[in-house]
Amino acid sequence: MATITATPGLGSRTTEGAAIRAADLLRWSLDHKVIGLQYMASSLFFFIVGGTMAMLIRWELLTPALDLMADGTQYNALMTIHGSVMIFLWIIPMMAGFGNYLVPLMLGAKDMAFPWLNAFAFWLIPPAGVLMIAGWLVGPPEAGWTSYPPLSTLFSPDGQTMWAMSLHLLGVSSILGAINFVVTIRNMRPAGMTIWKMPLFVWAVLATAIIQVLATPFLTGGLTLLILDRTAGTSFFDPGSGGDVLLWQNVFWFYSHPAVYIMILPGFGMVSEVLAVHARKPVFGYRAIGLSSMSIALVGFTVWAHHMFTSLQPALRIPFMITSMIIAVPTGIKIFSWLGTIWGGKIRFTAAMLFALGFITLFVFGGIGGIFLAAVPVDIHLHDTYFVVGHFHFVLFGGSVFLIFAGIYHWFPKMTGRRMNERLGQLHFVTTYIGTFFTFVPQHIAGALGLPRRVAMYDPAFTNINTVISLAAFLLGISSLIFMYNILRSLSHGERVGGNPWRGLTLEWATTSPPPPWNFRGDPVPFDDPYGYGSDESGPYLDAVERRFPAPEEAAGA
Amino acid sequence: MSPESLTPAELLQQRNRRTGLTIFQISWILVFVCLVIVNWQLRGNHPSWPPPGVKAPSALLPGLATLGLLASAWLARAATRSLAAGSRAAFRGQWRAALALGALFVLVIAYEWLSIPVSGIYSDVFRMMTAFHLLHALAIGLFMSMIARGVRAGRVSAQNLWPAEGATGLWYFVVVAWLLFFPVLYLI
Repeated sequence: MATITATPGLGSRTTEGAAIRAADLLRWSLDHKVIGLQYMASSLFFFIVGGTMAMLIRWELLTPALDLMADGTQYNALMTIHGSVMIFLWIIPMMAGFGNYLVPLMLGAKDMAFPWLNAFAFWLIPPAGVLMIAGWLVGPPEAGWTSYPPLSTLFSPDGQTMWAMSLHLLGVSSILGAINFVVTIRNMRPAGMTIWKMPLFVWAVLATAIIQVLATPFLTGGLTLLILDRTAGTSFFDPGSGGDVLLWQNVFWFYSHPAVYIMILPGFGMVSEVLAVHARKPVFGYRAIGLSSMSIALVGFTVWAHHMFTSLQPALRIPFMITSMIIAVPTGIKIFSWLGTIWGGKIRFTAAMLFALGFITLFVFGGIGGIFLAAVPVDIHLHDTYFVVGHFHFVLFGGSVFLIFAGIYHWFPKMTGRRMNERLGQLHFVTTYIGTFFTFVPQHIAGALGLPRRVAMYDPAFTNINTVISLAAFLLGISSLIFMYNILRSLSHGERVGGNPWRGLTLEWATTSPPPPWNFRGDPVPFDDPYGYGSDESGPYLDAVERRFPAPEEAAGA
Repeated sequence: MSPESLTPAELLQQRNRRTGLTIFQISWILVFVCLVIVNWQLRGNHPSWPPPGVKAPSALLPGLATLGLLASAWLARAATRSLAAGSRAAFRGQWRAALALGALFVLVIAYEWLSIPVSGIYSDVFRMMTAFHLLHALAIGLFMSMIARGVRAGRVSAQNLWPAEGATGLWYFVVVAWLLFFPVLYLI
């Protein structure tokens, strides 16, 4: 086994082979591809953990009485950890995983700017996960993922402190990872890779990283105060001693609303890639999509108080309502650009494409729900009802999670050298789509009818609708099992592929699958227009890539 | 080390480090901005600040310490330049002086932290902000003292300047963070 060093600061790589083994995911590695897969594997683990909790929640809510839980406190704990795990340990790290794996490849770089920092940022996540889950051993947090005081300061057991410490670690990890992305994208682009030639996924990661760098410090500040209130006897959030409960809400939402875009913007980048490749069409409005990501990042900082309409000074409601409505504009630009991209395309209904198309339909629905909640009078009526639960699950599951699925089906061949099973993928899509629709649409209806969120027992009038929701949620659970089975099966039995099974034009496809230790053998050869599908030059370029990076069987026979 | 003598890869590494440090500074200073906003929001809930019956601490001693901190940042900068020019003796003197002034600052603020009377939310905020800053000053000051040892051992030099340059950048951070806190804690 030889060891080579590429450039100062990038560390060394063994040249044993391109394939990354399962054992590699448990070791300290500086290779951005290993780190990317570490993020993704740990996120999938937490998806199973958080998803199991979701199943338990829906089991409890099958009937109006307490069935599974001994009391409402247990339900509060379950719902708190479910939300926290899904947001902080599943979606956000999964997006970071895609970014780590793909950004250097798409840019034509050998690695991220700071490989050691990259590995360090990842390895903060497992202890954070342990802290979050281990809270159960000392009394789990019960204040919801938003952890509003005084619930989180006076009424939640010690696990709440561990929850805050866990988020502290995750925040630091997020900031360090984001710094790495910004520096990599700014400095590591090879000659010729101008910002207007960057793939849209890279644009999206850049916008996300900017949000993380600027918003996460506020969570750090808030969590510091929360921990002090819980452990050091301070009273920052105790109005009785001169503190202020709204202080937490302001600080928390100043981070957590932008965090919504941390969870969705990388997915927006992924869907742009998937749609163009599988529709064989140039991206419609490349610059509009790239710049709208930046606009969302910017405007996202001005909307946090729409989460606090019921507690906000009335004079501030209208300005925040306006900014919240405005953010629909760049999002709408993206939707129209994606529709323009697939319009008239030669669409291949692969599992990746199905999830991308499914995302557009669900996200439009979820987005319109967001417009409802941005309107002050409607929000005041719907506040703390299941309408809110339905809305954010629609945009997080129908949005972020659908895009994660699309991204996994699309880039799995690149990461493993094998294709995922399409039949199982299509079955996964159908069950997920139906499950998503019938889980979260009825939640909107139940919320509009007045069903409050965060309750284990409810008015028997809501029994039927809750039964529908729970059964659909169980279907989602089954669909996730199909997905996990497909991943595990495809890792060993998936069809072997060459460097470019989808005939993509972005640079990650212009190398072997999986890529070699330093990503490219020799200098990568970028195509002039990363979305120039259908152009006269693209055919010969793609043929040349296919000849250079054939599927293994063909290579053996050559 | 002059940029002309660096390979393209080393130049890229230097550029990455500088960009990374700048972004880190911008990001982490926002935690301090957050705490300033916390201070404002809390004081906004009271008819006067400090609240009635609570005496504001004198700004004289911490004001002098602030001047010392500014001087230490200037000395750290001068020391890094001296090291870049190959003058280790000048570096030693300037770096030690910077560290001494930094230590003095830490002692003064620690004294302030200890001597503020417990008065509920006012002292809570005061102690939280000063302690938060002190932790940063101590950690980065410790890192700077390690750089001094590195220079003595020859690990940090004109050829390997980044540790000193990075430490100086972090010390600037301590200064800027304090310049955010000082007026809020003592003047306004």
